[in-house]
Amino acid sequence: MLIVENVRKVYHVKEKGSWLRQQWKEVEAVSDVSFRMVPGKIIGLLGINGAGKTTTIKMCSTLLTPTSGTITVDGYDAVKEDRFVKAKVNMIAGGERMLYWRLTGRENLHYFGSLYGLHGGALRSRIDSLLLQVGLLDAADTPVERYSKGMKQRLQIARGLINDPSYLFLDEPTLGLDAPIARQLRKHVKELAVAHGKAILLTSHYIHEVEELCDEVYIIDKGKLVAHDTPAQLTQSLNLETALHVVIPALSASLDLDLHKLAVRCGGSREIAETDEHTWEVTLRGQTDMTTPLLSLLAAHQSPVLRLHTQQPSLEDVILHMADRRGA
Amino acid sequence: MFRVAKATFVRNTLVMLRAYPWSFVIGHILAGVYTVLFAYFAYHYVFAGQLDSRFQHLAGTADYLSYAILGGAFYAFAVSTLMNVSRSLITELREGTLEAVLLTPSLRRGYFLGNVAQQVMRTVFEFSIIVLIGALFGLNLVHTHLWSAIAVWILSTGAFFCQALVLGSLMLRFRDTYITQNTLFVIMAFVSGVTFPTPYLPEWLQPLGAIMPLSPALDAFRQCVIQGKPLVAVAPQLLHMAVLSLAYLVIGMWGMRRMEKRVVESIFA
Repeated sequence: MLIVENVRKVYHVKEKGSWLRQQWKEVEAVSDVSFRMVPGKIIGLLGINGAGKTTTIKMCSTLLTPTSGTITVDGYDAVKEDRFVKAKVNMIAGGERMLYWRLTGRENLHYFGSLYGLHGGALRSRIDSLLLQVGLLDAADTPVERYSKGMKQRLQIARGLINDPSYLFLDEPTLGLDAPIARQLRKHVKELAVAHGKAILLTSHYIHEVEELCDEVYIIDKGKLVAHDTPAQLTQSLNLETALHVVIPALSASLDLDLHKLAVRCGGSREIAETDEHTWEVTLRGQTDMTTPLLSLLAAHQSPVLRLHTQQPSLEDVILHMADRRGA
Repeated sequence: MFRVAKATFVRNTLVMLRAYPWSFVIGHILAGVYTVLFAYFAYHYVFAGQLDSRFQHLAGTADYLSYAILGGAFYAFAVSTLMNVSRSLITELREGTLEAVLLTPSLRRGYFLGNVAQQVMRTVFEFSIIVLIGALFGLNLVHTHLWSAIAVWILSTGAFFCQALVLGSLMLRFRDTYITQNTLFVIMAFVSGVTFPTPYLPEWLQPLGAIMPLSPALDAFRQCVIQGKPLVAVAPQLLHMAVLSLAYLVIGMWGMRRMEKRVVESIFA
């Protein structure tokens, strides 16, 4: 298990000053953060104002040293016993970095594998299996500089798995990828946790990605953890409004009035908009489910229903709500 | 450690062959060849074969062409070693691969050993070409004590490697390669006895030459090649080189560890 306890990170940032008299100020990027990574589970780290996510990942992967607090990986201290920790973790970042562009995909994996102490037949078969897993076997002997963005990202995944890490950190792994490749990658990440028992920590600006993949989500703001739960619990806990969309062919004045009364009675609101097909889309928002009274009301007015769907609050709504609340 | 060294050696060789097929090697050879030509023309057309009476006393030989050509060849060798090793981590930083390397549990010793081994392979080739061309322009190799010269050459590689660690730390500190390395190389060329014996320098400048491993290395190598002295005869120069190597190694390893952390922190701060 990877345990992060009361971790704090302070950077010393250079302020404007002359060349000889530089002034430094302290910036607290992460403050008193604690969480755990468990095998087979994906946890998401979402940030309001983008504060502290990447720093947290870099500390967990031993690239940065915490100012205070402890990080232990299967009992090893990430600072004092970093070589043991490095063997158990790996990181995959979005973008096209962390690869040697002049080398082929196979040569990249061979080099990084060697840095992890792998060699001989074991390394060669691991490389083949990873290239097959990420669909790059045919391009294995092509220099990376000729790879597309998606291919580079898939090679990054193979690089991140070369040491068969128990703990994997994914920092914006689908950044800039086309939708089909991003979807394929998400499927692969899920498989890594479920089928291979990896503990994964994911940060992403694509909140639907976090919602789709993560078992638990930590929300971090200005370096502090402000919420932690499953994506479903997080949306429920804030009592956010559910939106009920119904499309009807005509809207009489009496129906409009009754819709307004229904929304007020349920403590919600209603919006009406004419669509391009000259029909009317009514949206009722509220914390209670208005589907049954709405259908009764439409039946009473003998109004046919062309379309009806409910939009549950999403994790994105939670983040936006929290950002508004904290910004207020 | 040796697996890391071997992997880094192979990686560097592949990258070098694909990125700079010949231009890089030719560039280094040309720098040495120009020194050979400069020495030849200066000796024949500027000095008209006339040397200062102190030269033989200070250089230990009256053969200025061999003195200057070996100086040029050895200087090119020192520059290649210093450049290759010192730029390795800052190149990783610029190409976006530093984090991937630092993430691994590999020992930095293996990484640098691989870099220096790959560089030695290239330098042997470059050095041999310069010496061959030098022989055409008056380099006299008949008295060479071959094994001693090879031993000095190998020990010098170690000394330049240690100095490169300090240079590499400075490059990471200032995030600069060109100003840092070129300043050092110009100073080295001037104070280390590449084309003239260091006692010609003003007294206040001579200590600067004494802290460059190139000075004792070059002195020992010339004695083995021009005067045919055995290794034991150049023991004082080797001791001087060993002391400098140790000092540079300690400072360089400490500096590299510090600068690696500093660089990673500065990326995210």
